[in-house]
Amino acid sequence: MEQLIEELKKEIIEVLNLEGMTPADIDENAPLFGEGLGLDSIDALELIVLMEKNYGIKLQNANEGKEIFKSVRVMAEYINAHRTK
Amino acid sequence: MSIYIQSASHISIQKPLSEAWMELPIVPDSAFMKSEEPDYKPFISPMEARRMGTLVKRALATSLDTLRKGGCEMPDAIISGTGLGCVEHTEKFLNAVIDNDEECLPPTSFMQSTHNTISSQIALRLKCHGYNSTYSHRGTSFDSALFDAFMQLSLGKIGTALVGAHDEMTPDYFLMLSKLDYWKMDFCHLGQLRKGEGRGSISGSCSLSMLLSSQKQENALCELKDVELIYRPGILQSRHAINEVLLRNNLSLKDIDAVVMGLSGDCDNDDVYHELKHHIFQNVPTLWYKQMFGEGFSSSSFGVYVGAVCLRVGRIPQHLFYFPEEAAMFQKEPRNILVYNHFQDRDHSIILLTK
Repeated sequence: MEQLIEELKKEIIEVLNLEGMTPADIDENAPLFGEGLGLDSIDALELIVLMEKNYGIKLQNANEGKEIFKSVRVMAEYINAHRTK
Repeated sequence: MSIYIQSASHISIQKPLSEAWMELPIVPDSAFMKSEEPDYKPFISPMEARRMGTLVKRALATSLDTLRKGGCEMPDAIISGTGLGCVEHTEKFLNAVIDNDEECLPPTSFMQSTHNTISSQIALRLKCHGYNSTYSHRGTSFDSALFDAFMQLSLGKIGTALVGAHDEMTPDYFLMLSKLDYWKMDFCHLGQLRKGEGRGSISGSCSLSMLLSSQKQENALCELKDVELIYRPGILQSRHAINEVLLRNNLSLKDIDAVVMGLSGDCDNDDVYHELKHHIFQNVPTLWYKQMFGEGFSSSSFGVYVGAVCLRVGRIPQHLFYFPEEAAMFQKEPRNILVYNHFQDRDHSIILLTK
């Protein structure tokens, strides 16, 4: 799980172009939206694309996103349970 | 109603956000020259910048710098000209379409790739709810944007307008155009451009913003007296249009101190200007600017910019003269400058600037 969290942090930095940030700067338990990283709805779309492209997970219900994107750790747990690649 | 070019700011091959090109121009040494990027931190926070492509960052920096210099916090209108919009993001998006088999497409690249992203990002940043428009007419995009602003200011519909010209040259797009003989791939010195032999010029990315105002402020660059766009004119129609512009501004050709032309080193492009010089501007010194800023869809804006800065400074530097013998004879302070550009001998523009 810890390895997946590290991998996910790197992918988030790359896909959201978080210049100047390193994986160590992201608290895996902090909220991704609002507080914490302060991401917005466009970032949510990028994360949905990331999950589908890199892990083969298609989110069918938009409301699921609220739970899945709570933090990097929650996201990693969801990916671990549902990944198809 | 008088209209003034209040301030202007650029990012190009030359030193960014600066008029250093007047004294110490950077001389291109290859057909593909990268623009020099300024420090964006004073204009855009890292969180804002992360979603922006290079062109949007440049447009925001030049816009904010121009507004600051012109002492304007909120323009009445934002009008941009761009031939191709944000090519960098367009390429990213199209590559993703191919790489991902038309699935899992990145939303940011899609959103940022549209032509009107530039004007809208400036408006979002300024929280400007005024008139917002983008002209995408290839080589006359800027001229069309300027004409729109000029008409609205003349009619008193707006009091200030932020007019921009923004285009970027990516390595991939440069290579594509090279196959159409757009560039002198063996370019290594300016003499090759002055000769005007063979096809091709040198490329240049352009981001230029200027603030137009119906109220003259201190340090205004010049007055924008007239803008005329003509479609496929022959030499007679060009002569007629030039005379009309001069006549309605109570001027004659004798009053014009210099004409700025879009000479680029491409024989097809330059032939049009040589014909104009021969038939109309025999006694008017010719200035050029593409040897400094390069060729691109937005490069005509630099003709206006160069003319405007010369009028404010009251001097024309030697390196702007196309014919060295005219430079040697030119002694006076310029008061009236005509800018003549054309795109593929189809769309021509005549812009009159006065001190």
